Parts: sequence; structure tokens; C-alpha cells
Amino acid sequence: MGARNNKNPFDFLANPERFMAFSRWAAPMFGAIAGVLAIIGLILTFTVPEDYQQGDTVRMMFIHVPAAILASFVYLCLGIASFLALVFRHALADAAAQACAPLGAAFTVLALATGSLWGKPMWGTWWVWDARLTSVLVLLLFYLGYLALRGALDDEQKAARAAAILALVGVINLPIVKFSVEWWNSLHQGSSTLFAKSEDRLPAVYAWPMLVMCLAYLSAFGSLWLVRIRALVWRRKARALALKAAEA
Amino acid sequence: MHFDFDAGKYAVYVWPAFALSAAVFVWMIADSLASARRWRAEAERRQADAKGQSQDLSK
Repeated sequence: MGARNNKNPFDFLANPERFMAFSRWAAPMFGAIAGVLAIIGLILTFTVPEDYQQGDTVRMMFIHVPAAILASFVYLCLGIASFLALVFRHALADAAAQACAPLGAAFTVLALATGSLWGKPMWGTWWVWDARLTSVLVLLLFYLGYLALRGALDDEQKAARAAAILALVGVINLPIVKFSVEWWNSLHQGSSTLFAKSEDRLPAVYAWPMLVMCLAYLSAFGSLWLVRIRALVWRRKARALALKAAEA
Repeated sequence: MHFDFDAGKYAVYVWPAFALSAAVFVWMIADSLASARRWRAEAERRQADAKGQSQDLSK
């Protein structure tokens, strides 16, 4: 028989030992990058001029928008990892999915809470049941549902499979979150990031702090995701050893 | 460079948003590190127990 064809791009990190060696230096490196970017981003946040319409509330944009972007991005990671865990039965992909959920839920809570604190002075209300806000709330419910399902079943394999299916169903919500402000009338403004139409795009004085803060949040997520996957790998190892000891 | 920490009448919205973000990040970092530390210690303890057991059996 010939050697196994190793062309799957996920093979490199699918091996737990290789992943542990990689994440041992990658997690602190991403953490350090996040720390440096957060310091630069906060300096920019508190040195930009106030907006002529929104006043000082514009500074909330630099923590609200990155949290909202990460809320959706982390769910995309959860969906991809769940797909890989379901189809290829990679234990590490399942750990990656499991590690995503609490971080994604935290970013979604942040997006909702900071959005609400920004909405009150700008819209005159903490909350409206419009498409963007409601779809992000549904995103939070998918995260909480995923976490609840994983914790509810004693059989870890069954729990992982059920939660992965729920995560994949929830991926349908991601385009709704993204395009809700275009498909329906909404109090929430449309996209004004670097990818928006030129007339809607943020001026450079606000775009730079937002870009830096987005990269800081992304690096922080990368670091914490790796740390949490490492914890789950050790947990599985500890449980396997406990089972072996009980059988002996 | 001029720092502007005076949010004026919006301070009641701006500072809680930053405080909440900081608190959530502290939780994410603390929970992730504590969980990694706990399971690493548990795995190493089990590994040491398993080694001790196999040495006992070989005696």
C-alpha cells in the first residue's frame, strides 16, 4: 500500500501534537500583537476629533464595530470547524468549534451592549426590533444554544454532533446579519467600513483607529482561541488517561 | 497629540461601554488561561499517575 496522500490543507494542524507545538508560540505571539495594537488603537481612539454630528459618542464606534465584526467572524469559524468535525471527524476541529463558542458569545454580548449604549443618545432608544439588532440577538441565541447543547448531553460525541448541526443551521443567519441593513429599513446605519461605497466610507481620521482596533480584536481572538483549544486537548488527554486508569 | 477624555454629556454612555468591553476582555483572558492551566495540570497529574502505575506493575 502506498503512503497516505497528505494533500488536505487541514492536515498540518489536524495532528494534535503538531497543533500543540504550533500554538505554544502562536498563542502568546497573537496575544502580544493584540496588546500592542490595542494600545495604539486606544491612543488613536482618544486623540481623534469628535464627530460634528455624533460628538464624543463616535469613540464608541472603535469598540462596537470590531465586536460586531468579530461576533459574525467567530460564528463563521464555528461553522467551518463544525463542518470539518462532522464530515472528517477531526477531534481537533471539534475542539476548535467548542473553543469558539464562549468567545463568540462574549463578542456578541459586547456588540449588543455597546450598540445599545451608542443607540440611546443617537436614536433615543436602547433597543428597536429592527432587522440588524434582531438578527444579532438571534446570533447570540445560536451561540447560547450551542453551549447549552454541548453541556446538556452526557455523551460527548452525541453532544458534539448535535451542537455541530445546530452551528451549521445558524450559519444561515450570517448573511442576514450582514445584509439586514440593505434588505430592510433599519435605524442602524449601513456599512461604512473600508469595503463600503466611497461616498459612505469613513474618513481616514476614523478609519485608521477602527482598522487598528479591528486587528487588535482579531489578534486577541486568535490568541484566546488557541489557548482554549489547547485546554480542550489537555482535557481530552486527562479524560482518556482517567478512563485507561479505571480500566486497568 | 492631544488626549480628549472629556465626553461631556455623553460620558454616561461612553465610559460604561469602554468599562464593559474591558471587563469582558478580562473575563475572556482569565477564563481561557485558568481553563488551560487547570486541564494541563490535570493531564500531567494523570500522566504521572499512569507512569507510576506501570512502574508498580513492572516490579
